Amino acid sequence: MREVASRTQVEVPPHDSRDMAVIRARGAENVVVGQEIVRHRFASRVIHWSVAVSLLLSLFTGLPIWTPIFGWMGTLFGGLYVCRWLHPWLGLLFAASSLVMFVYWLKEMRLEPRERDWLGPKLIQYLKYQGEDSEVGKYNGGQKLFFFAASLAALVLLASGIVLWVNPADVSQELREVSWVLHDATFILFTVAIVGHIYLGTAAEPGTFGAMTRGTVSKKWARLHHPRWYREVTGEDSRRP
Amino acid sequence: MPHQLLEVRRSSASLTGGLTGIRNLPTVSKYIDTSTCIGCKACEVACQEWNDLRTVPTHQLGSYQTMPTLNADFWNLIRFSEHELDGGLAWLMRKDQCMHCADPGCLRACPAPGAIVQYENGIVDVNPEQCIGCGLCETGCPFDVPRFSAKTGKMAKCTLCVDRVTVGLEPACIKACPTGCLQFGTKDEMMALGEGRVKQLKENGFANAAVYNPQGVGGTGVITVLAYGDRPEWYGLPKDPHVPWTVRFAKSVLKPLGFIAIFGAVAGVFGHFMRFGPKKPPDGDREEPKPPARA
Repeated sequence: MREVASRTQVEVPPHDSRDMAVIRARGAENVVVGQEIVRHRFASRVIHWSVAVSLLLSLFTGLPIWTPIFGWMGTLFGGLYVCRWLHPWLGLLFAASSLVMFVYWLKEMRLEPRERDWLGPKLIQYLKYQGEDSEVGKYNGGQKLFFFAASLAALVLLASGIVLWVNPADVSQELREVSWVLHDATFILFTVAIVGHIYLGTAAEPGTFGAMTRGTVSKKWARLHHPRWYREVTGEDSRRP
Repeated sequence: MPHQLLEVRRSSASLTGGLTGIRNLPTVSKYIDTSTCIGCKACEVACQEWNDLRTVPTHQLGSYQTMPTLNADFWNLIRFSEHELDGGLAWLMRKDQCMHCADPGCLRACPAPGAIVQYENGIVDVNPEQCIGCGLCETGCPFDVPRFSAKTGKMAKCTLCVDRVTVGLEPACIKACPTGCLQFGTKDEMMALGEGRVKQLKENGFANAAVYNPQGVGGTGVITVLAYGDRPEWYGLPKDPHVPWTVRFAKSVLKPLGFIAIFGAVAGVFGHFMRFGPKKPPDGDREEPKPPARA
């Protein structure tokens, strides 16, 4: 990220109706365009959304198989039998896009030693809006942990899912039992995490969703949520004037 | 297809509302006396014939067994095994098929509403119209009976000839048995028959003869007389079968907990929003109004 950070201000030419921020966000990341900063280039957003869409479709085809209370979701896909057919293929798509995402973001998601405490009290502080941390870079510790947790979950879901997919006569009883419990437990934890992820990316932190649609965030947003990243990208002090 | 003439006692993936039976029907049962089975396999053929199942090539195992295991087109297999005894040999035949458990693991495991039903007379049946072929019933079954059919994409197993039983006939396998080691009737009658035979066997030197009607699955709809009743594993039968604890755990613990967790998470984020509201820069999201487009 640091090497990408260029402190160029993109001037918006007069008489130009094009959205320069969006145009810059096609290829560049961590650059300032007017009052905005490009946070996720086009490729990042495409990868994120292929994971998100394949995950949600896997979830919606899996839930009616998990419990008949969600049977109505199966109807949306053409019935339970269609879900049973579709679910493993969507799961493969999810696993494949997760792998791409893992490789793509791994470098930026390396946990710094000081971010380890995000597993405990730091997360609670963060959710209570306490303890301002001026050293939060492009991703905070929670985001990094979520990245690794989601990647691990994708791996477990893939492995156990393949066992549950194939003809049971070809797999040992013990392996099928373990896979069943693992698949259920992982998907439950993952779904809980995803609910939180969607909330934080939309209602809880206004201005965040644009990072995954337009690709940009406002400078103020960056200063509040990711002060060190703000300093690195803009070269300005992140303390409030 | 669910049998129209029979009411349902229990139905898979149906928390409530599965029961349709008003009539009180006696639970039916097969009786298998392994001590008088001669391994002729007439029951295997009768099962294939009556159910119009595909002819499955036999597989030479170097023993008297037709093939290694049950499959979607072969629901009734005489299993053969021999064991050395003090000064003798136990030469054992056992009819392997669906046990029609009173507490069927397949039915507990099945995620498709109504795909596995237990009729009022105790027969456990797969309903292919509802079955999604996921195979979880095979994981739930302590006897490893249901099989995936590549032809239909659904599961298949012994129906206890529910179509015959409904109209007052005995199952095809019982009809074909030449020695009378297979009998059919109400479970009470078959238990009485089994106990009588066990008494006879004990008198004839089989001190451990017993009726195999395991209580771990609530008893079975197949009453098996074993001359070596203390050694059901010799016959390929589990000593104390029960629905796997993992299946019970996934269904009875993980599912309700997961339900609470997922809806709890949704409630939690709403609560968080009401309590803490959105986190945004104190002086609004925008730095300053964008420079007006120059005319």
